[in-house]
Amino acid sequence: MLEALIFATILCGFFGIILKQNLMMKIIAMDVMSTGVIAYYVMIASRQGLFTPIITGAHQGPYADPVPQAVILTAIVIGFSIQALMLVGVMKLSRDNPTLESREIEKTYTP
Amino acid sequence: MNTLTIIWIALPFFVGFVGYLLPKLDRSLALGMTLVSTSYAARVFIEPAPLTVQLMDNFGVTLRIDSLSGYFILTNALVTAAVIFYCWDTGKSAFFYTQTIILHGSVNAVFICADFISLYVALEVIGIAAFLLVSYPRTNRAIWVALRYLFISNTAMLFYLVGAVLVYQANQSFAFTGLQGSPPEALALIVLGLLTKGGIFVSGLWLPLTHSESETPVSALLSGIVVKTGVFPLARIALMVDEVAPIITLFGVGTAFLGISLALFEQDTKRLLAQSTISQLGFILAAPAVGGFYALTHGLVKATLFLTAGTLPSRDFQELHKQPIPQSLWLVLVMASCSISGIPLWSGFASKVLTLKSVLPWQMIALNVATVGTIATFAKFIFLPHQSESKPIRPGFWVAVLLLLGGLLAANGIYYQTYTAANVGKALAKVGVGWLVYWLVIRRVVLKLPRVQEQLEHLIGGMSLMLVLLFWMVLA
Repeated sequence: MLEALIFATILCGFFGIILKQNLMMKIIAMDVMSTGVIAYYVMIASRQGLFTPIITGAHQGPYADPVPQAVILTAIVIGFSIQALMLVGVMKLSRDNPTLESREIEKTYTP
Repeated sequence: MNTLTIIWIALPFFVGFVGYLLPKLDRSLALGMTLVSTSYAARVFIEPAPLTVQLMDNFGVTLRIDSLSGYFILTNALVTAAVIFYCWDTGKSAFFYTQTIILHGSVNAVFICADFISLYVALEVIGIAAFLLVSYPRTNRAIWVALRYLFISNTAMLFYLVGAVLVYQANQSFAFTGLQGSPPEALALIVLGLLTKGGIFVSGLWLPLTHSESETPVSALLSGIVVKTGVFPLARIALMVDEVAPIITLFGVGTAFLGISLALFEQDTKRLLAQSTISQLGFILAAPAVGGFYALTHGLVKATLFLTAGTLPSRDFQELHKQPIPQSLWLVLVMASCSISGIPLWSGFASKVLTLKSVLPWQMIALNVATVGTIATFAKFIFLPHQSESKPIRPGFWVAVLLLLGGLLAANGIYYQTYTAANVGKALAKVGVGWLVYWLVIRRVVLKLPRVQEQLEHLIGGMSLMLVLLFWMVLA
């Protein structure tokens, strides 16, 4: 069930990138898609157990797998910096194309 | 060797930032870094056994350095050095050199890593550095081209990430070898990400616009080395995991065909070169075992061609036919075209022979047809009208071109045993056929191919279709 919801999020984001006309919305759709991917990592990490993998002695029982969590932390940082970079690019473009209609922009700037 | 590898991989990032802090030294530092990479590649060739480094236990970073990596690292070093020479007296800012050298370092990282997460990180850094280089002129068009590139590469990498975690779920490790026992969807997702990043087959249709609309030195970097970062992991995986190999070689042959059929009717020099890159990447993947040498010759020759095409007075072939080009530039074009066409004397010949020798018979026929297509395409450059020049060309250009062409000649020494009478005869026969095709057909036909498939929406939609196709291929 949870897995199905996560895949629905990824697909929603993916179709958003294709179907949304506004460049800004496309970037947000990409963010939705990457949120889905991050959630999938977290879900796979919690297959064996739910507790935060920090040994304190207070909790006895199965811990969550720390490796996917650590890995996805890197991916979150990268995804966020790419997002920021794209927004800067869009900001620059919006000066001459205030509607940010991707089809219009594509027509203007493709030789 | 372990310590050496780690220092070498961290150095470009350090050098990049130092260059930014000391803008007077930026070019020299960048050039020094390529020198370090060249000597490292030489060290890899001397090393008898492939080196595998495992950092931090099972879950950590896995590196694998062998002669395949050696060829790719050498290509990277030479192309980057040539681009720095080319830009030497053009007044580019320290920011440009910083990005170039960070790009160089992350490309190197791809060529030695053997696990999916280090590969992911390196590919994303490459994406960002390439974005900054493409958008360096700060014009609206450059920003749009760069944004489009980042959109496509980031979407592809998200699919790749899902595939990577599926591999982890199956064998509790991100190493390439884990692909053996992974579910088919993991394989399909990872291969899709790499195909798109590497510009292979239909997923590579984003490539012509990006490579042709960038500035000349950036095009040379993109076509010479950056696309190879998608190709290298595919070749590595094909050599490591037996069940993937047939799929990848099939894509290789398909790409060789697709790229060259696009390039044959192209009227724009830079777009033609970009489309021929797609086709040449197919040759690398068709025979992954000898792909390293092919990548070296292709990287050198494509960088030469891009740097020269950027110096020509026009990008349109019709224009160039009316207005003779300087003789010296024409000579460079002829030499480079000869190498990419596989004419003896240039190392393109040896790499073509080696690739054709190591593929299956039906693939050999297909690749031979693609070779003839390549020869006919590059005949467009060879038969351009020329005259003695009027104004001198920048010295930086000559240093870059001499370095690249010298590398092409020297690379002959690696596989000199390919020079047999039969091989030379076959190559010359293909050249004859190719030039005949050019004079009879290509010269007279003006065909405008549609460019609908290169729109952003179609490119991203195409990814979902490729994913379905890959999934069926893996299941079959």
